[in-house]
Amino acid sequence: MILPLTYNFRNLLVRKLSTVLTLTVVSVLVLVLTVLLSFAAGMHGSLAASGSGRNVIVLTPGATAESTSLLTPEEVGRVVQTPRVARSADGQLLMSQELCVQSSIPRREPEGFTANVGVRGVDDAAFDVHEGIELVEGRRFTQGAPEVIVGRAAQERYANLHIGGSLDLGRLSNRTFRVVGVFTAKGGALESEIWAPRTIISDVYVRPLVTSALLRMESPGAVPAAIEYINGPTVKLQAKSEPAYYDDLATTSRQIVFLTTVLVVIMAIGAVFAVANTMYSAVDGRRREIAMLRTIGFSRAAVVTAFVIEALLVCVTACGLGLLAGQLVDGSRQDYLSDQTWTVLAYESKATPQVMITALSVAVVVGVAGSLAPALRASRVRLIEALRKA
Amino acid sequence: MGAAAIELTDVRKVYRKNRIEIPVLEGLDLRIESGTFVVLMGPSGSGKSTLLHLIGGLDQPTSGRVRVGDYHLEEMTERELTTWRSRHVGFIFQMYHLVPVLTAAQNVELPLLLFRMSAAERRERVRTALSVVGLEDRMDHRPNQLSGGQEQRVAIARAIVTDPEVILADEPTGDLDAQTSEGILNLLNLLNTDFGKTILMVTHDPKAAAHGQRTLHLDKGVLERDTMHAPRAAAAASVN
Repeated sequence: MILPLTYNFRNLLVRKLSTVLTLTVVSVLVLVLTVLLSFAAGMHGSLAASGSGRNVIVLTPGATAESTSLLTPEEVGRVVQTPRVARSADGQLLMSQELCVQSSIPRREPEGFTANVGVRGVDDAAFDVHEGIELVEGRRFTQGAPEVIVGRAAQERYANLHIGGSLDLGRLSNRTFRVVGVFTAKGGALESEIWAPRTIISDVYVRPLVTSALLRMESPGAVPAAIEYINGPTVKLQAKSEPAYYDDLATTSRQIVFLTTVLVVIMAIGAVFAVANTMYSAVDGRRREIAMLRTIGFSRAAVVTAFVIEALLVCVTACGLGLLAGQLVDGSRQDYLSDQTWTVLAYESKATPQVMITALSVAVVVGVAGSLAPALRASRVRLIEALRKA
Repeated sequence: MGAAAIELTDVRKVYRKNRIEIPVLEGLDLRIESGTFVVLMGPSGSGKSTLLHLIGGLDQPTSGRVRVGDYHLEEMTERELTTWRSRHVGFIFQMYHLVPVLTAAQNVELPLLLFRMSAAERRERVRTALSVVGLEDRMDHRPNQLSGGQEQRVAIARAIVTDPEVILADEPTGDLDAQTSEGILNLLNLLNTDFGKTILMVTHDPKAAAHGQRTLHLDKGVLERDTMHAPRAAAAASVN
């Protein structure tokens, strides 16, 4: 039988200072954990939303991203032979040759600052091959015209990207493009990009080759064979499923998760000591009370449970406070510079249920780890000695 | 002679400290009939508290047998003793040992949490126990809102709320003034006479000892004197 919760709760109120200090330490731990994991989850979610299981991306062997890949027309000619590539309604193979470049564009805020934005030169086929691209304002660009469409996230971040606005692109930023449309891409990385006609981008950046080719397969089941074919001796290029490609790009989010883990472990150790310190002082201050409880029939297990519950009350409350504070950044739009594409990608911080469960788990582990030793000490109080008047 | 509630046979208790053996009880034989109020007296270190702890299942004899009711305590494990204590013995301590963060009613309710019992039944039992000790109107008071005598009454209510056969009181009036002590002792008499409880009380105070029916004098771990006397007349007339 466990002691009533009111016993634990009131005992915490009696030790206000140490309770508040422990509450603060664990709250900060949960806050840091929630914020960092929300960033990582948003970042990873943005990249994970970018790929289609039916698409295969083709790059130069050894390239880790489109920014470091170049495909010659001969290589593209070999890619076209890949079996089971889907066809459009008018019988065209669904392959999109794309040229990705970076361009420095002024930010909306702070004024006067620029950021590297991905500019993707595409043909009309791109709209059939990329999944989830939806024009939400304006119209598509016209092939051969200096026009662009911009991703929603890019429009929110960079200056002058409203419909009718203009921006200078090109190797010497010497060509003005007009914004004619805004698109979304299910919140994925493509929404941070600017798309323009490939031929014009090739011209203004003096880049005659494409950086990648994207194939839309007949079905997801056709993807492994296509990858094997392209990686094989016939084509001798590098192919990945599109989700795998974006997952590989998510190194930054993985680094954040790793650093968060290291940071949280260090902070959690500190929090465990804070909880242990509080609980040891609680045990020492209540030795006679514990002895009385044991004398009237409460088992050692009941005493251990009482002290663990007391610590958990603090830690779970602190977890609630930390998660609440973490809501201040939940849903906030963030940027990060991908070390793979060298462009700024936008993402939305997401306190996913998994993040919350992780935070709660950490708080519970801290509570149990911090209270177990003091609770065991409490259960081993020598009854007769403790009951005697001091 | 009634049925023996408590029986000790050749009980020996030795404590070891720094490899030195300190004998506290030396071959004690004792029989206490059910429903008697027994007082344990003796100088400090005579072994009276140790005897109380052995009968209460808080400690085990080095040798010998301790029977309380149908239970041979020397044969029981620590876990069995813990459960046994909750069902068969009520403890009253000199320093009351109430939980300061709980109300009088919650303190009295504590032993009942170890029983399968509805909240309503627990409340009813708590109310009854507190009314026996005359503190029904102090149910929601915390220990720091009560006088020393009232705290001890709450502790007595806690000791009787499970309706145990035996009540063990270790200097229950040691921290109280004479008038308050008298009230507490009268209350113990009431529990003995009206409720038939077997009471074993340790005290240094001869006036307190006069409330019992039998006084055991211990010295150096040996039962020196065993005196029977009439219970105080009308002891239970007033418990206030």
